[in-house]
Formats: sequence, structure tokens, C-alpha cells
Amino acid sequence: MSLEGILEPQCVAVIGASRNKEKWGHIILKNIIKGGYSGNIYPINPKETEILGIKCYPSVLDVPDDIDLAVIVIPAPLVNKVVEECGKKGVKGLVITSAGFSEVGKEGSIREKQVMDLVKKYKMRMIGPNTLGIVNTYCSLNASLMRQGPERGKISFITQSGTLGLALMDSIINIGLGLNKVVSVGNKADIQDSDLLQFLDTDINTNTIIMYVESIKNGREFMEVAKKIKKPIIAIKSGRTKAGRKAAFSHTGSMAGSDDIYTAAFKQVGVIRAKTIEELFDVALALSTQPLPKDNKVAILTNGGGAGILAADYCEEVGLEVVNLSDNTRKRLEEILPQCASSLNPIDTVGFANYKLFKNAIEILLSEEEVSGLIVIYTHAALVDPLEIANAILDTRYTNKPIIACWIGGEDLNNAIKLLKNNNIPTYSLPESAANAMASLLTHKNYLRFKV
Amino acid sequence: MTILTEYESKKLLSKYGIPVTKEFIAKNTKDAIQFAEQIGFPVAMKIVSKEITHKSDSGCVLLNIGGINEVEKGFLTLINNANMHVPNATLDGVLISEMVQGGIETIVGVKRDPQFGAVIMFGLGGIFVEVFKDFSLRVAPITKFDAINMIKEIKGYKILKGFRGHKEYDIDSVVDVLLSVSKISEEIDNLLELDINPLIVQEKGVVAVDARILLNDSTC
Repeated sequence: MSLEGILEPQCVAVIGASRNKEKWGHIILKNIIKGGYSGNIYPINPKETEILGIKCYPSVLDVPDDIDLAVIVIPAPLVNKVVEECGKKGVKGLVITSAGFSEVGKEGSIREKQVMDLVKKYKMRMIGPNTLGIVNTYCSLNASLMRQGPERGKISFITQSGTLGLALMDSIINIGLGLNKVVSVGNKADIQDSDLLQFLDTDINTNTIIMYVESIKNGREFMEVAKKIKKPIIAIKSGRTKAGRKAAFSHTGSMAGSDDIYTAAFKQVGVIRAKTIEELFDVALALSTQPLPKDNKVAILTNGGGAGILAADYCEEVGLEVVNLSDNTRKRLEEILPQCASSLNPIDTVGFANYKLFKNAIEILLSEEEVSGLIVIYTHAALVDPLEIANAILDTRYTNKPIIACWIGGEDLNNAIKLLKNNNIPTYSLPESAANAMASLLTHKNYLRFKV
Repeated sequence: MTILTEYESKKLLSKYGIPVTKEFIAKNTKDAIQFAEQIGFPVAMKIVSKEITHKSDSGCVLLNIGGINEVEKGFLTLINNANMHVPNATLDGVLISEMVQGGIETIVGVKRDPQFGAVIMFGLGGIFVEVFKDFSLRVAPITKFDAINMIKEIKGYKILKGFRGHKEYDIDSVVDVLLSVSKISEEIDNLLELDINPLIVQEKGVVAVDARILLNDSTC
């Protein structure tokens, strides 16, 4: 069954809504209201008549309207009863935040199975249990414990860890990465990563998928699905268990640790594995905004020679070629560059930086067949207005080649960086991040060759 | 769990088209001499016993046996060493097999992972895999594309391509072995672990020189 009822609900009930400000049932209801959700909201609590100014019902069965999504925020032993009521009511989807299921042992596992039986019986779908909720920025739904929703964007985020997921959301908000849907999957009793990937693949508001993975329940199924998804998927996987914990029978048994197998499986089906959280976000930003390069040949334009060389080193390291420019291109560049500047790639304006110079240089480089992608590095010099340089990039954006910006300097650059980001130019503070982001575009391009 | 002996493991590999060393199990010195002559000297001699899995560590392997007298002497040495290192182990005989000359040692393996099922491994043999962890993995079943990438991915690929003027080794045959091993892992669903170590790659062809297989008794 489709996940639309859960991820794009027209109407939401919060079962276990509370007046007590410290309870999750209060926080989640408040977040839904505060987030500006466009559909109807029904708090459910038999002991209250009204919470946060909204009429409260004793049970979902008493709600006059149809309900797409029920967020269940009550203690685990009470969950079965309300799930049954949701089933009778015809609720399409459940998000169960309650803990105390398979994550706590045998008794919890039995309870989880009972819930699953009900979910199946009434043909509902369920996220969780033990989830921190979901977010959909396009209908302004923040049915989660996050106090603030992220900015709107085209990246959707599937996270397995609850608390880390929340912390990551804070970082995402901080760096201003726009998100579309966020799903904390919890125990994955019903809805699995593969279900969400399939849903997001056809979701017109998502163009890039990021994942925080602790374990995948059914590896084969995940692979089958992931292999078919053409949107970029970037995953960070925790739990780097040591290879060969026990004395194994074979070399293969002792060498191939579970983490290595994840790396291989991801590679095999075209999932980019990020090594760090920072990389996860950096790469997602590039993939969600830039076209893919036709090959690995890049040009680097910079006003600071050192930064240009560093970037060139990193490019080579990650498999990009800092292309040898043709005589013709160099001649065209020399006509506009200052006297002692270098027209060799990386192109170094030897400290000079102004709108016209950068705009001309960018246009020449992008117009040449030999350049498949461009990294523009600006190292801040006190006399230059960084906004000018940012505008030089934005005003030349007519090509289908990727542009990655690297703005190095302090607070003076904030406005320019914001301008670039708001106009979909991924901007990084370090040359290695910029090189890595460009390389990820090529990685995805190569993955697409075997995606079916 | 059931351990297949080297001899049984190689029989299975051979059934799937993987070239293995020419070999016979001798129960006595007379047979040993006859088999050695049939194979042609030099030969390798190894104890066959399900209870002795680390043969070379316990003196149960003799290499480069060059003549009849040596075969006779070697047979007794192997029995003695086996009894000394693993007393009371049931011995099934002595494996007499061809010595493969030259080539480069690689390792091909399978492991069954709880999340992903059968996983195929490839690496260069000896220290390359053990010390430098230079190996590649793919979840089975693998395609030819995967097999080629597995080989290209390891750092030791340069050596296979022919390093310092050496001729290129037979990479196509390695691809075939990887595909066969993938097939084995799919068809024998109680296979837990498999090692071909070493698979010797020559300029033309490959040979599985040693192999071991671990099976799960209950097919699940």
C-alpha cells in the first residue's frame, strides 16, 4: 500500500496529545501546530476537551472527519488498543513514537508483533515504533520532536537513529540545507528503508535521498530496490564492527567484516557512502543542485594560488582530472586575465578579484568543450566585495555544467555564501570539500550506467 | 556444520568448471608412488583428514617431492606429523597432487552474511590480503561487470596486469572463477564459507591449489 497517507496526509490525529508541556504528546502536537500544517489536526485524549486551543476527542472513533495519519504517543502497553481503533476508523497510516518494543527484548518483540498483526489486519502502514516522527516541509508538517523544521528543499532524509537523527536535524538547520521529507524509521517493524526509497523515487518533490543507517534488516531487498533508484542516494553507516571478530574457518570469513560488506553492497547498487556526517551533507548539497559532468575533467578558477593548488591536489586524489587547457582556451583567458596571472589550470588571478574578471573567466571556461565542471575558489581579500564575486557566478549560469564554489574567509563572506546557496550554487569552506563534492557528481554519473 | 576436505572441496569446484590441481588420495605408499608417477614429478603431498584443518601449521604438507624414494619417506613423515600434532585424528589418506609452477597467488572466497547473504571476496594471496587488507567484495550473485570491477578495485591489480615488464596474468580466467563461485553460492544454499586459497593465476589459465568449504547441516 502507498505511503502517501503517512507522508502526505490531509489530516492528522495525535493520540496521546497532552497539556503537560514536558510530554512528547504535547511537544509533537505543538510542533505540528507551530509548523503551520495545512490540514486538520485532531488531538486525542479521553481526559481532555481541548489542548493548545484545539478540540480534543476521547478516541479516533469519535472524530467526525476521515483521518490519514495517526501519530501515537502513548506508553507501549496501551498501543495495541488504539491501533485497533485506528484500524476500525480507517486510518491510513501510523507513526508510533512509543518505545518499549523490539528494542527492549523479548516482551517488547511480542508486543511489536501484535501491533504488526493489527496493522496488517486493517491494511494500514506504520512507521516505527520507537520513532521520533516525520517531517514533510511541503505540507508544513512537523510531526516530530524537532522543535524547528528544516528549510524547504529537495533532499529527503531517512534516519534510523532517533536522538542522533534529531541532532543531525539541528546541524542541517544550522547549515541551511533544505529538506523535503524526514523520516525517523525507528524499529522498522513495517515500513523499511526499501519502502521509503521506492516512495521517494517517485516523489516529485525529492531529487536526492540521504540516509543514516545503523543496520539494514533485509540486505537483499534493500539492494534490489536501491539498484533501481536513479535519484542519488547518499548514506552514512555507523557500527564499524571489526573484521572477523571470531576466529573464522576461512580467510574470507575472517577478512570480510560486516562493515566491508555494507561498503561493497552500497557500491554494487550505486549508493554513495559518506565517511562523515559533514560529507553526507556536502555531497547531498551538490547532488541536489548540480547537473552531472560528462567526464572527470575540471577547471579550477581562483584568486589565491595556494588554494588553487590544494584544490588541484584533492581533485587528483578523488579521481578528477585538472584538465590541461588548450592553447585556444589559454589565449582567450590571457586576453582578460591580469598581466602576471596564470592561464594554466588551476587558473590563478594572482589576487585580483572583481565582478568582470571572474564573470569573463567563468564564461570562457564553461564555454569550452574540454571543461566538464568548474570549481570557483574565492579567498577573501579585504578590499574585495565578496557579493560581487558571488554575482559573477550567478550571472553566468547558463550552462549544463556543474559549478562548485569554495569561499574561504571569515564572517565577511556570510552574505555572499548565503546568496550562492539560495541560488543553488553549493558553496564550501574548504577546497577538499569542494573537490569531493564535484567528485560525487561523477560517482553518481558512473553509478547511473548500471542502474536499471 | 560440515567441513569438506581439500579433496572434496576441489571436486565440487571442478564440477562448476573451476580448474583444480590434478590429484589422488593414496591410502598406502604403493598407491602414493603410482599416483605420483601418473601425475609427474615434482608433486605435493598433504594429509587428508577432516580433523586437521590447518595442514601447513602442523607439518602435514610437503612440497616439491621429486622422486619415488622421497614419496615413500614423505608418506611416513606426514603420518607421523599428523599423529604428533593432532593425536587420534582420523586420517583418510595422503593427497598426491601436481605442483603448480610459477604464477601469482590469489584468493577467492565466499562468506554468508546475515544481512546480505552470500558475499564474494577476491584478493591477492598471502600478505596482500592478510596484512594490507587489499581485497574486494561483492554481494552475490555478481555480474561479469561486478567481477571485472572486483579485480580492478584491488591495489594489487597492477601486479596482475604485469608489473615491471612481466606479462599480463590471465585476468579473464579469474573473472570466470568469480562467476562460478557466485553460482556455487547461489545453488548450494547451505554453503557458509568457501576459500580457494591459493588460486594460482598464470599467464594462461588458473588453478585452484587449495580449497576449503564449510557447510551448514540444516538447509535453511
